[in-house]
Amino acid sequence: MKFDVIIIGSGQAGMQVAAALQRSGRKTAVIGLGRSINEVEVKPYEQLGGTLLIGDSVTGGIFDGDRLQAVRTANLGAYPLEADDFVIATGKFLGRGLVADMDGIYEPLFGLDVDYDPDRSHWFDADFGACQPFLRFGVRTDAQSRPSVGGRTVTNLYACGELLAGVSAVEGRDAIAGSAARVIGQLKPSDHAEA
Amino acid sequence: MQKRNISPNNFEQCVKCAICTDFCPVLKVLPSYPGPKHGGPDGERLRLKNALFFDSNLKYCLNCKRCEVACPSGVRIADIIHSARDRYGEDRPSLRDWMLANTDTMGTLASPFAPVVNGALGLGVTKSVLDGVMKIDHRRTFPKYAGRKFTTWFRREAEAAQAGYKKQVSYFHGCYVNYNYPQLGKDFVRVMNALGYGVRLLDKEKCCGVAMMSGGMFDAARRNAAVNLASVGAAASEGRLTLTTSSTCTLTMREEYPGVLGIDNEAVRDDIVLAVRFIFEAVERGEVQLAFKEGFRARAAYHVPCHMEKLGWSLFTRALMERIPGMELVPLESICCGIAGTYGFKKENYERSQRIGQPLFDNIAQVRPDFVVCECETCKWQIEMSTGVEVRNPISVLAEALDLEATAALNHQ
Repeated sequence: MKFDVIIIGSGQAGMQVAAALQRSGRKTAVIGLGRSINEVEVKPYEQLGGTLLIGDSVTGGIFDGDRLQAVRTANLGAYPLEADDFVIATGKFLGRGLVADMDGIYEPLFGLDVDYDPDRSHWFDADFGACQPFLRFGVRTDAQSRPSVGGRTVTNLYACGELLAGVSAVEGRDAIAGSAARVIGQLKPSDHAEA
Repeated sequence: MQKRNISPNNFEQCVKCAICTDFCPVLKVLPSYPGPKHGGPDGERLRLKNALFFDSNLKYCLNCKRCEVACPSGVRIADIIHSARDRYGEDRPSLRDWMLANTDTMGTLASPFAPVVNGALGLGVTKSVLDGVMKIDHRRTFPKYAGRKFTTWFRREAEAAQAGYKKQVSYFHGCYVNYNYPQLGKDFVRVMNALGYGVRLLDKEKCCGVAMMSGGMFDAARRNAAVNLASVGAAASEGRLTLTTSSTCTLTMREEYPGVLGIDNEAVRDDIVLAVRFIFEAVERGEVQLAFKEGFRARAAYHVPCHMEKLGWSLFTRALMERIPGMELVPLESICCGIAGTYGFKKENYERSQRIGQPLFDNIAQVRPDFVVCECETCKWQIEMSTGVEVRNPISVLAEALDLEATAALNHQ
């Protein structure tokens, strides 16, 4: 099945992008593991004809060079979901957009490049109330909000929300909304036609 | 250091966010119910210490799986609850529970006397007796028994022709098609034949076991599961997928056999597929062609059954239905209809069942569709009884919308 844009992640940023793009006439799908209490965007999104795959998770991507062609999901098994463009908004550690182990911090779906301090002792601040440094870690993107794998930009993948380096809900929701707005700017039909 | 989650049904992954509690349809109408978080992962920690912590109110769980769909941590909450009922539940199934759960036995007994049984079950006096003696609610409309089972029809009227098709599939018809509504099975055979597939029955088929699990008869369900998995495996070894028309049978065999019954089905899990998904994929790959009747017009509402939500396959039904010219498909809000199979037949559950489904009934009344599209037979009973609007399986819709002769001609070249 082919969509214009597939959005991975159904949190604040993912739903903001999905609803805006669906409203602008693009055929979108959202893949999200679980629901959230704040579902204001969900009903209008479905009424606009958006495809919501809730309770599902991406298990991997199919790449053609630097392009992401399709993703596979837990529920759909071998069946690939194709799209021209993809958006990843899977959040930080709680949303499993980032995973930390003894060796480092990584993005588990595609192995996107992550900005973080390799020295574990710098990950946290002993002052519990301080803004913890690990909350500023996240995926690195170029000027067009595109992340990279091994230094090579994935040309049709856009990242937004808490997954990004420097963006954290602890510091307020405006940064999340702003990052989503930048991705919407990249993918809205008029902009897309010029690109 | 333990690096991977090793707890059954992921229960250690619960972060106590309680989003499942927010999406539990039972809790909305029965505030004293412990709810999915409390009864599931929280309760499991206590039960592992001492079985005395088992709360018998967990029998009010619909097993709708909406908690699992809502969970951001991948915890199989309903499976945890049902496994606990299996391990710690002490309620002995009553005669009523046994009769509601043993669909094969009851269907086999009732089918030869279908006109009498159907007539009797519709009478006020029978309903009063069932209500008073058996605690089956008198307000519930019973699904009718068919005079001739699907399998009897198939063997007499259809089986001989099936070998003539180059491509073959097996069909898990389920109890509902066999005893109550053979028309759906006939529609399935007609559609598959037109697409160029011969249909075979499984060597042996038993009820998937969902009604047994709901009634607390887990060992009986395990026996059925063993028979079904062996049959699906035998078909797969001869190169045949097993197609289904019921979302609940499908989910039960794919997900609940391992999750609730603890049976490893990995080898054959992906050989069990809903027919709508199979057909859509075949059409998309260009392996089969569809020719539709001219002048087909319908405005239908799509109710995604809870178990279809859990499977995550509703996009296939939507996409297939949207290929039908003249079909307008209005999505309904994602709400449980409340019946949950045999749950809503039980007197103690009837009112709760109707209250859970009320927002869905209101939504249907507001949309005023020609019919409702839905892959689940018990949603069909509930919606038809509660709204008066007819409910059709997508395969039956396809059988009606397709020009079967023209489709067959396209696929037999």
